[in-house]
Amino acid sequence: MNVITTLCKHQQFRRTLADYRGNLYRIAYSWCHNPALADDLVQETLTKALKNSSQLRDPKTVKAWLYRILSNCWRDHFRRSKDTVDVDDVVLIETNTPDRHHDRQQIVNRVRNAIACLPMGQRQVITLVDLEGCTYIEVAQIIDVPIGTVMSRLSRARKALKERLLESEVESCSNVHRLRKVP
Amino acid sequence: MSKHERISEERLNAFIDGELDTHEKNEVFEALGDDATLSHQICELRQLSELVRHAYDHPPESEKYVRPEPRRMSLWSRAAAATVLLALGALLGWEGHQPPAVPRADAEMHAMYWDKDRSFQNTDLSKVTSQQGTKRIILHLNTSSVARFDKALDTAERILETYANSEQGAEVEVVANASAIKLLRTGYSPYAQRVHDLQERYLNLTFLACKDAMDHVRELEDLKTDVTLLPDVDVTPSALEHILNRLSEGWVYLNV
Repeated sequence: MNVITTLCKHQQFRRTLADYRGNLYRIAYSWCHNPALADDLVQETLTKALKNSSQLRDPKTVKAWLYRILSNCWRDHFRRSKDTVDVDDVVLIETNTPDRHHDRQQIVNRVRNAIACLPMGQRQVITLVDLEGCTYIEVAQIIDVPIGTVMSRLSRARKALKERLLESEVESCSNVHRLRKVP
Repeated sequence: MSKHERISEERLNAFIDGELDTHEKNEVFEALGDDATLSHQICELRQLSELVRHAYDHPPESEKYVRPEPRRMSLWSRAAAATVLLALGALLGWEGHQPPAVPRADAEMHAMYWDKDRSFQNTDLSKVTSQQGTKRIILHLNTSSVARFDKALDTAERILETYANSEQGAEVEVVANASAIKLLRTGYSPYAQRVHDLQERYLNLTFLACKDAMDHVRELEDLKTDVTLLPDVDVTPSALEHILNRLSEGWVYLNV
């Protein structure tokens, strides 16, 4: 009987992961703006989640748990590719901006570009709050920072978006580079 | 100091995100009452939040992302279907060992398919191809019997030959699992050349080996690498699951 119960739980867990796949992909894409990389990150996240399913003590916290794994995968990816850069201060630039290809989606592209211009720490906070409806406490747990940092990053992120989207019609971030070397 | 100045940016954000307690919310509402600038600021924050949501409503899909994973059946459905397949195999096996009074053509072989209600239906191959209009047939092998493999190849060839000149032609898959894997292994199969010839001749003929069975063989033989299959033999993660998926897509099943 225990075997059957375990199998059923495992099936249920797999279904839960499958249900979250779309949300994870959306968040991953909003962080990296690269469909293939976002897909890789989600695959890695789901693989780790399956492998470490026993670490999830309370099934109710599966959402925050999954985003935390995704955040770690994203951080690991950064460390592998730019191991001397503080991920929180990185401003990613999309050289191939979406609006070059999709003129019809001007608003969408402007917002995505504006998000892409935010430092990664701010980008993670604003997308987790606005896209996934995470509470500040959940975000703090997911990206492992104090709640005060979540609030200040969110405030700075929205201020920057406001300047780019509501106050200035055309503003490019193509020359913005704020990389900080980790001592 | 105005009420507006007392409310920090962080608190305004927390207000629109529903993060304030009742007391804190009251403070913001009081300040909103006589401060148009503050009200405008909150509207802008809400607008930004909506814009972000809107921007990622439909993120572009990755090319690598294979979306509809074939609908996996529940454990119980799979167990039930497996039992039916097993029973059908046994039935066909029993019939097979009886000397037939009249040699039957392959077109009269017992076939199985799913009807619209996903119930298993048994019929003759000839009936199902004419009545259901389907010419997509999956041949299942689960023993290393050379005679059965020979028959499977004969059957596949006959079906493909019969419908070669029809509009759509037939599509045949030969799926091997359990010990039948041996018949698709390089160095073990006595039919390597014939499999190759058939694949050369018929584009709609596919040979599939079950990965589960391959792993089992690898374990039994303590191999360091995967079992080597004949050229152009494809691998399916699970033969059973593959057959059930095919049935759900309207294919006809034949256990040789």
